[in-house]
Amino acid sequence: MKANNPPPAVPQRRTRRPSLQALTTAALALPGLAGAQDGLGLQTDYLFSHYREADLPGSRNVSGESSKRYQVSTHQFRAVQPFEQRSLGFDLLYETLSGASPWFVQPDADGEPVQVMSGPTIEESRVDAQLSGTSPLSDTLTATLSAGLSSEDDYRSVYGNAELEIRPGRGPLSFTASGGYARDRLEPTQGRTATSTLRDNKRTLRLNAGAAYVLNPRTLLQGNFGYQEHEGFLSDPYKAVFIVDQAGTDFDSRPEGRRGYHGLARVRHFVDWLQGALHADYRYYRDNWKIRSHNVELTWHQTLPARWRLSPGLRWYSQSQAFFYAPFFQSAPADGYLSSDYRLSPFGALSFRLDTTYNWNRWALRAGVEHYRASGSYAAGSVDVEAPSLVKYTVFSAGVAASF
Amino acid sequence: MRLYQRRFTAMACPCTVQVYHQDEVDAERALEAAIAEVRRIETRYSRYRDDSIVSQINRAAGTTRRVTVDPETAALLDYAATACAESDGRFDITSGVLRRVWNLRGGIVPSREAVAELLPLIGWQLVEWQVPEIRLPLSGMELDFGGFGKEYAVDRAAGILVEYGIAHGLVDLGGDVHVVGPHADGSPWRIGIREPRDRNRAIARIALLRGAIATSGDYERAFVHEGHSYSHLLDPRSGWPVADNPASVSVLAERCLLAGTASTVAMLHGEEAERWLQALGLPWLAVGHDGGLHGSGIEDGRLAP
Repeated sequence: MKANNPPPAVPQRRTRRPSLQALTTAALALPGLAGAQDGLGLQTDYLFSHYREADLPGSRNVSGESSKRYQVSTHQFRAVQPFEQRSLGFDLLYETLSGASPWFVQPDADGEPVQVMSGPTIEESRVDAQLSGTSPLSDTLTATLSAGLSSEDDYRSVYGNAELEIRPGRGPLSFTASGGYARDRLEPTQGRTATSTLRDNKRTLRLNAGAAYVLNPRTLLQGNFGYQEHEGFLSDPYKAVFIVDQAGTDFDSRPEGRRGYHGLARVRHFVDWLQGALHADYRYYRDNWKIRSHNVELTWHQTLPARWRLSPGLRWYSQSQAFFYAPFFQSAPADGYLSSDYRLSPFGALSFRLDTTYNWNRWALRAGVEHYRASGSYAAGSVDVEAPSLVKYTVFSAGVAASF
Repeated sequence: MRLYQRRFTAMACPCTVQVYHQDEVDAERALEAAIAEVRRIETRYSRYRDDSIVSQINRAAGTTRRVTVDPETAALLDYAATACAESDGRFDITSGVLRRVWNLRGGIVPSREAVAELLPLIGWQLVEWQVPEIRLPLSGMELDFGGFGKEYAVDRAAGILVEYGIAHGLVDLGGDVHVVGPHADGSPWRIGIREPRDRNRAIARIALLRGAIATSGDYERAFVHEGHSYSHLLDPRSGWPVADNPASVSVLAERCLLAGTASTVAMLHGEEAERWLQALGLPWLAVGHDGGLHGSGIEDGRLAP
């Protein structure tokens, strides 16, 4: 740049001492950040849900009358406190359950299975408390350890879990590996129906490995593989199975070991022009009780103006039966294993849910409803005889989350 | 939590918004809202748009018409008035008219007469500002929010992120940065201060967990006369570039607006820049044209190359 005119000198005078206070006050008068922001405060979450099973229709009940089933009310509270790069979490659950439960199934005059419900209604409560801690181990590794206790009148479980998350660099790939162990003790409540045991134990081991891959800024892929193993008393001590030849019942009796695997694939994709995201999950499970199941879940998360979010979802589930399941037996099986629990029967299920969330500053409100229906006709394979007590339920939930 | 980011161009510079969140729907919505806010401010205070409040005010210059402004503009004008006073007139939003005769990038140095002709139109003390009405009394007077609009937009966008529940992330508009919260693992963001002679290299990296940093830079040599090097920064009081200023000044503050004003005014103090910064009291860093680094208030660990 050519200089053709020398610039004039600016008159020098003593520089006035600037007042940071004056500038700050003027800056704070502007709309901007609401107060001092910290971002590292306590996060809390409370959720209430009410689960209600539809009455068992009279046509499926041996008594001919419809029967109430389970109702469960659950309160869940969660608090997480971050400490720089670590965090400590506490989860508390309190749940009350009441209702009648399926006891055994017997053939009616036409040989069709009808359900016999346990007579007196159960009233139970459960408390579950868990402590967890997360800490980075290195640039790429983060570990989470948790331990907890669940306690109700007839059942107690002590459990622990360890998880490792591996993020190599800032690349698109990350991995997780986890293991969990639980020891349960069962002391069935006496005085209602006869129980198959007075006290027994069960141990569970779970192992998981997964990977997540960011395909592009809008799409996340996840895969997970898991193994679970149960050992000990795995039967339901309150349930029975009707044996035609004996014109009577035997106790529900399941093998003392169960090993299963599952594979899960998940896609999350954000659609810009709709300002919404699709979550799609597929899970396959098989175990050595010969149960095979598929679970497909689709949820659409839609952003709405003024911080609302609506999430409709659809789930389809299908399972094949355990090898020792039947609604009732002609004669006692040779291997001694038998169960008429509908949860081990072949069936399919469809579930619709709708959740809504409202976010404002450090608060979030949410509410949701789910309606679930199990039926032999929803199953992937053909179901010759549907368990009479396949369940239909509705869940209402509402919760609030706050960060401090 | 994953990292979500958007790159875009606004206010004639490259911009980024980055957030960490568990949920991509919430993250995208926060990013969207933050960018919309930047564009709103850009539009509202743009000289180039006929419908902007700035153009309305400028069009009425020299007439008896008083323009009524909204509370946001009023607060910005009050801020500009305070900044002008605290900087002894070096920060002056009426100095935009100098653009008409100076084209520093094009290498055009105007005549003394051309500059002198504009001086009567410059001076915040001339502006008739009584909330909520403003009037520029002389025809040809102009308000220019370019000197602090970007830093204000950074703070507003960061405020929007917080409103949308973001606790980890930052807004970066052309090097003026506001950190809402650290990386998801709690580690600070490392903001690079560029080398005077190489835009692709950082001479220092400031580690920020939260807060803002703004940098005023004058990297290309303007012209040298009688031993002084003259910059691209025009002093509103003389109409001529300030001399002997650092290559860049970076200031840390709770608000980017404050950091930006401080770094700009420091540069306009020429060789007094560092003394003025020391008197102001905010953490600062000055880079000399020779690559020398001076600073204060930036603790060990917060400043690392």
